[in-house]
Amino acid sequence: MAPVGAAVVAGSGPWAVLSRCCGRVAVPRLFGGAAYSSLPAASSGAGQQREASIRRRGRTPQFVRSHAPPRTERMSVDQDWSSVYPTAASFKPASVPLPIRMGYPVKRGVPPPKEGNLELIKIPNFLHLTPPAIKKHCAALKDFCTEWPSALDSDEKCEQHFPIEVETVDYISAGTSIRNPKARVVTLRVKLSNLNLDEHAKKKLIKLVGERYCKDTDILTITTDRCPLRRQNYDYGIHLLTVLYHESWKTEMWESEKTEEDMEEYIWENSCSQKNALDTLLRIKASENVSNVTKEELLASEVVKNYRNSVIALKNEGETENNMSQYKESVKKLLNIQTSP
Amino acid sequence: QLDHGYALHTAATDCLSSVVSQDVPSLAERTKAVFYTSENDPANHADHHEGRHYSIPLEEVKAVFPHGLPHRFQQQIKTFNEACLMVRKPALELFAYLKSTNFAHPAVRYVIYGEKGTGKTMTLCHVVHYCATTFLLLTAHLWVKNCRELMQSSYNKERLDQPLQASSWLKNFKTSNERFLKEIKTQKKYVWGTRESTEEGRPLGEVVEQGLARVRNASDAVGVVLKEIKQQCHLGSFRLLVAVDGVNALWGRTTLKKEDKSPVSPEELTLVHNLRKMMMNDWSGGAVVTTLSQTGSVFKPSSAYLPQELLGKEGFDALDPFVPIPVPNYSPREFESCYRYYLDRKWLQHDK
Repeated sequence: MAPVGAAVVAGSGPWAVLSRCCGRVAVPRLFGGAAYSSLPAASSGAGQQREASIRRRGRTPQFVRSHAPPRTERMSVDQDWSSVYPTAASFKPASVPLPIRMGYPVKRGVPPPKEGNLELIKIPNFLHLTPPAIKKHCAALKDFCTEWPSALDSDEKCEQHFPIEVETVDYISAGTSIRNPKARVVTLRVKLSNLNLDEHAKKKLIKLVGERYCKDTDILTITTDRCPLRRQNYDYGIHLLTVLYHESWKTEMWESEKTEEDMEEYIWENSCSQKNALDTLLRIKASENVSNVTKEELLASEVVKNYRNSVIALKNEGETENNMSQYKESVKKLLNIQTSP
Repeated sequence: QLDHGYALHTAATDCLSSVVSQDVPSLAERTKAVFYTSENDPANHADHHEGRHYSIPLEEVKAVFPHGLPHRFQQQIKTFNEACLMVRKPALELFAYLKSTNFAHPAVRYVIYGEKGTGKTMTLCHVVHYCATTFLLLTAHLWVKNCRELMQSSYNKERLDQPLQASSWLKNFKTSNERFLKEIKTQKKYVWGTRESTEEGRPLGEVVEQGLARVRNASDAVGVVLKEIKQQCHLGSFRLLVAVDGVNALWGRTTLKKEDKSPVSPEELTLVHNLRKMMMNDWSGGAVVTTLSQTGSVFKPSSAYLPQELLGKEGFDALDPFVPIPVPNYSPREFESCYRYYLDRKWLQHDK
C-alpha cells in the first residue's frame, strides 16, 4: 500500500489533477465506466493501481489528495480585495487570509478553526462590501447621478425646506422577473415640531397614531404597503398624514370626558394631592385661629408652589433620591415642621 | 468626627492584631464604650450616641412590643438574653420631629422607606420605645398577609372580618396601653348583639373586653376603639402615636379569596378599612409613623423600595403630604459598631 500511495503522491501535476477530478466518482466505477475519466489511457493504469490499494485497505474510499497550499499564502498585503470577493459569496477559508475561529469549543479547548467550518459558511458575510469596494461602486454610480443642490448644505436646512422624508427601496436580482413585491413599501417620516400643532392637537395626534410616534426623537413614522403599487402607497401615506393633521385640530364632544387615567402627564391642579394639601393647610390655619384664608391665597403662597413642583417632579420623572429629598423639604416647609436644635 | 472614626479603626485593628490574652481589660473597655452606651432612655438619645447600642430592659420589651419585633430580632433577644438596639440617624431625625410637633395641628405622617434589610422595622421599634411612656400607642403589623378565617362582617354586610387577628391585636393593645384604657370613655352607645351593649360613658377597657370575649365582634370592637380614640385625641388628655409596619399593604391587592373565588380587595376587610381611616390626617394631637415593606407585599417586584412604587397611586394619594425618611445601609462606622457588639457577645468567633 505504501508504495502505491507514494506513487500517487509523488506523481506530477497531471497525475494530481487526475486524482482530483476523478475524486468524486465512486471507486468501483472508476475502472468499470470509462466514460467518467477524462484520460482513459492513463486512467486504466491508475484505476488498477487504485483498485489494488482499495482492495487492500478495505472498502473505505479514501483518496489521498495532494494538497496545494491555500491561496491565502500567495496573497500580498496590499492586494485588491474587491477582486477576491467581487460579489456576495459564501465564506471560502482558502481565500480569506484571516485566522478566524468560530463555534463552540470542546471542553478545555478553543473554538474550531476556519478550515471546513460550517458555521462560518452558514452565516452571511459582507466581505464583498469593504469600504474600498463601496467607493468603487459609488464611483461607478456617479455617472448616473445629478448634482446635490448647493443651497442645501446642512441637515438643518434640509429639514427646514423638506420636513417630510419619503423612503422607498428598489430591489435588483438576477432572475426571471424584475418585479419584487417588497418594492411597494413606502415610509414617511416627519418631525412633529415641523407641523403646526397646538397642545391639544399634538396630544390627540400622538394618541391617534400610537406606536408610530417616537418620543425621544419626536418623529412620526408612517409605513404603508397596503396598495399594490408604490405610487398608490405614497398617495395613501400623504392622505393619512393630512387626515391625522386635520382630525387632531378638531375637538369632539366626547373629549370633555377625559379622565385622569387618560392624561399623559401629571397635572397638579384638581388632583388628590392638591385637595389633601389644601385641606391640611386649612385645618392648620383653623387650629391657629387665623381668620379665613382663601384658597387662592393658599395656592399662590410660596410653600404650596414649592410642594406642587416637587410632587409634579416625583410623578412625572419617577422617584430618585434627589426628587425624594426635594419632596421632603417641601413637605416640611408646608406643614411647618421645624427640627429642634 | 473624623478622629473618632480613625480612633475606632485603630482600636479595631489593634484588637484584631494583638493576642487576646494580653491587654484585654483596658482595650475591651475602651472599645466597648465605642459601640455601647448606657443611656437607656431613648428620650435622651442625641447625635453623639449615634452608632452605639443601647439595651432595653426585658420587662419593657414584653410591655411595649408584644407583637412588633421582627422574628430575627426576637431570636437574637432569646440568644443574648438582652435586647440591644443601635441608635441611628433616621431614628434621631424622627425624634427631633416628634419632639417639636405641634399637637394642635393635624397629625403629620412619616413614612420610613429603604431597601430590604436596612433596618426600617428596627427604626420603627426604636421610635415606639421612645413614645412608650409619653404617647398612647397604636401598633399594627402586617395584618393583611396571612389570614386564616374570613367572616362576613356583622356590622356592614359588604365587608369581611378577620376575627383571629382582631382578637390578638386587642389583647396586645390591652397590655401596652393599660392605663389609658381606664381613662378614655366612650361617647356613644354601641350595641353588639341582642343582649350585649356598651353604654355611653363607660371606659374603653370594656369595649376591649367585649371584643376579647366575643370573638365574632372582635373586628368591630377594633373599629370602635379606633374611632373613639381618634375622636377624643384632640382634646389633649393623651397623645396618640399610630405605628404601622408595612403600610403599603393597606392599598394594593391581597391574596385572599372570597367563597366564590373572587379576589378580596383591601377595602372589603373591616380591619383595613378602619386602619385607613386612622391614616388620614383629619385628626390632631399625635403623629403617624409608618414603614414600607416589600417583604409582605405580593404582586410587587422584589427590587421595589421607593414610596411610590410600593404604595401605588391610591396609597400615595391617601398619604400625601407625608415626610419621607430614607433608611440607608449601615455606614462603615455603624458596621464597625455592630461587628464589635457581636464580637463582644461572642457571637462572632476568632480562629483562635
